[in-house]
Amino acid sequence: MKRLFSEYGSVLVFLLLCGYYSVVTWSEQHPTNAAAGRSLAQSIIATHGAQSDTLIIVRDTVADRVFAKAISTELARLGGKVRETVFAKAPVDAGRALRRISPDDPLQAVATHHAGTQWGPLKVERLKRLATQLSLSHVPRVHFPESYMWPSFLTWSNILNVFKNNADIAIIAIGMTMVIITAGIDLSVGSLLALSGVISAVMIQRWWGGEDAGLWGVIAGCLIGAGICALGGTLNGIMVTVCHIPAFVVTLAMMMVARGLALIIAVDYQSFLSGGGTKGTPEAVKIDHQAFGAFSNGELFGIPNPILLTLLLYLLAHILMTNTPVGRYIYAVGGNREAARLSGVPVMLVLIFVYTLCGAFAGLSGVMDASRFEGGRPNAGELYELRVIAAVVVGGTSLAGGEGRIFGTLVGAGIIAIIQNGLNMQGVATYEQMVVFGSLILAAAMIDQLKKSTWALRMFELPQRWIKRPGRRETLQ
Amino acid sequence: MKCFRFVLIGLLLCGLTGCGGGSSSSDGASNEAATSSVTGAAGADGDSDSSGAGAAASGAVAANGTIGFSVLTLKNPFFKIIADTLTAEAEKQGFSVLVNDANLDVDTQAKHLDNYLSQKVTAIVLNPADRIAIGPAIKKANDAGIPVFTCDLQCVSEDAEIAGHVGTDNYAGGRQAGEAMAEVLGEEGGDVLVLHFKQANSCVLRVNGFTDVVNATNEERTEGKINVVAELNGGGLRDVGHNATADALVAYPNLRGIFAINDPSALGARKALEEAGKQDQVRIIGFDGQIEGKQAIKNGEIYADPIQFPDQMAVLTMQNIQKYLDGEEFEKVNLITPKLYKKADADQDPDLK
Repeated sequence: MKRLFSEYGSVLVFLLLCGYYSVVTWSEQHPTNAAAGRSLAQSIIATHGAQSDTLIIVRDTVADRVFAKAISTELARLGGKVRETVFAKAPVDAGRALRRISPDDPLQAVATHHAGTQWGPLKVERLKRLATQLSLSHVPRVHFPESYMWPSFLTWSNILNVFKNNADIAIIAIGMTMVIITAGIDLSVGSLLALSGVISAVMIQRWWGGEDAGLWGVIAGCLIGAGICALGGTLNGIMVTVCHIPAFVVTLAMMMVARGLALIIAVDYQSFLSGGGTKGTPEAVKIDHQAFGAFSNGELFGIPNPILLTLLLYLLAHILMTNTPVGRYIYAVGGNREAARLSGVPVMLVLIFVYTLCGAFAGLSGVMDASRFEGGRPNAGELYELRVIAAVVVGGTSLAGGEGRIFGTLVGAGIIAIIQNGLNMQGVATYEQMVVFGSLILAAAMIDQLKKSTWALRMFELPQRWIKRPGRRETLQ
Repeated sequence: MKCFRFVLIGLLLCGLTGCGGGSSSSDGASNEAATSSVTGAAGADGDSDSSGAGAAASGAVAANGTIGFSVLTLKNPFFKIIADTLTAEAEKQGFSVLVNDANLDVDTQAKHLDNYLSQKVTAIVLNPADRIAIGPAIKKANDAGIPVFTCDLQCVSEDAEIAGHVGTDNYAGGRQAGEAMAEVLGEEGGDVLVLHFKQANSCVLRVNGFTDVVNATNEERTEGKINVVAELNGGGLRDVGHNATADALVAYPNLRGIFAINDPSALGARKALEEAGKQDQVRIIGFDGQIEGKQAIKNGEIYADPIQFPDQMAVLTMQNIQKYLDGEEFEKVNLITPKLYKKADADQDPDLK
């Protein structure tokens, strides 16, 4: 039991958090899907009879079109009549559609969804006024699908959002896990992310023609951006190994240098855009290329690309860490660097490799960020290093090195992501929850420490000593 | 004996999550209250027409929907006023408001917008943290059919559709600041420092208005010109403004005026002047008209502020949302002209000590 608890402590915390937010966000849900449309059509026929005349008013969106289509097909099947389907760009269009009703041919029902019922023209008093103005024989009735209770947290769209929006943290955390397993640290990831995004954006805009850039131009721009970050990582690794500077200092310096470079490039580019006369502002470098945004905002089989990419990278990293000599070297270097060196592990190469990989993952995340915002942001990734390190540590990797699992980090990143999402869903009225969840992170880390550390054992032995007579100490292992 | 440890840890965890539950139980209760009134209105809506009127009346009190508001930063009192006024105004009209603090980060803000979409809010209000990079997030809201309103700061991404914008006419405010500077420096002119914050386009507009007036004044004069000797980053913050001013006083000892793009950086500049003992030599023009800025004007620490009206911005934004939902016409872009506020105004201001 102890093993189970300590190995999967972070998973337990993850599930607890999910459960907690499900309870807190338990609220009314308003369906707008095909099934809701069909049952709405059935209830209209049930209220007004088969000969009823219906006006469908929805918004001009993909989901609403499906909903409206379902209503009209079902109404047609049951013999009802659809007068018109209005795809309103704004509530004002709904009002216009309703004013087209004539007294000779009064309307019985208006079908819409919950969002539609919040529009002024569909409110009961407005409809009544309209009926008097147009001297209709009766007021048309507004029908909308029944709502049901369900946690907003546990909706498909929210869960996809949580993981898609934090894919960059999760991906950098892979590299960070490896660095921390070697008993190092990398504070430069957030700045490298920004540098990569800005360089990619400028490359695509300036050298590959922006809007007209071909696919290869875009890929080359991204590769250069991510590649420069990988080089930054290599430099970190060389400084740590060859020059024996502590990783904390090296990467802190790199953090400042990379952020500065990202800002310089962005400002110079803006200044270049405005003709060179004025100084630029550190705003995002806009990428005009149409398809570029699809990398982060697109989806495959209904799952957003960033999530798929994250899972793929985690799988590859897991294989690397468990089934290859490189993985064993990384653990060995972190466990005891001197022993590893004496056993013939190429310590320097291994360290340079992990820092390079960490930089490359930061670069990749930068490209993803640029794609998500359709522009390279020099201010991107601020304080990411802390969130990434938190994800890694919560996932059970020891900051002392030599220990940690890749999938543990995935769970850790999930915990960080869910905490953030939960705080956002409830608005700022809940600052005190940050305290609670800070403590929860601490608890997660504590459970993971159970499996190896002696302080936890000692701490929990104390009350036993108070209960039992002191002489029993020998019998405890 | 081993089990004892796990019981302890378990208790610890329960305690923690229990805390969490406790702190949010009030939220849950208010949520419940809101939803129950929604269902009440919906049920009555489905009834006959006679009871429909009652339903509409109760609906107008509590069930008009939720508005998501992603604030640029709640650390700046200016945006706090917008958030508070918007919340109060929305509650009067039967909306509930979900306020999120974007902390100046467009990444956080985009997450807020995604959240609003999955929570299916009625309308979104935001102060864009980056006028370009927020575009894709707004586009997603457009695709989901949820109207987006901007307040104070504008979004310039071309394909993002904004239902309405309310802001300050920052260029006009900058011109007022320039006129005030020309007035306070008088015939002699002199060296002037600008405490800039280039990240915000609103501040760029303010400085543009300011320099345009300064240049026009200089063209009329043969001597006693106003020289903008430096544009330093004041960060829009007290400490950054203080340090920048302290450095500038060393580099330009003959400085006679400072234009700071908001009140915090103006107050930081004032602090630096006092430390250098130059508060009588250098006059400050601020911007914003936050309460501490107004107080400083009354005390003679700042010469004048073009003041903005954050409360009016929130009220107008809320009116626009209501008009949008009601299908009425409204101004898509509404810029409020600031007003120059000097010591004479401050002496009559009842809010000040």
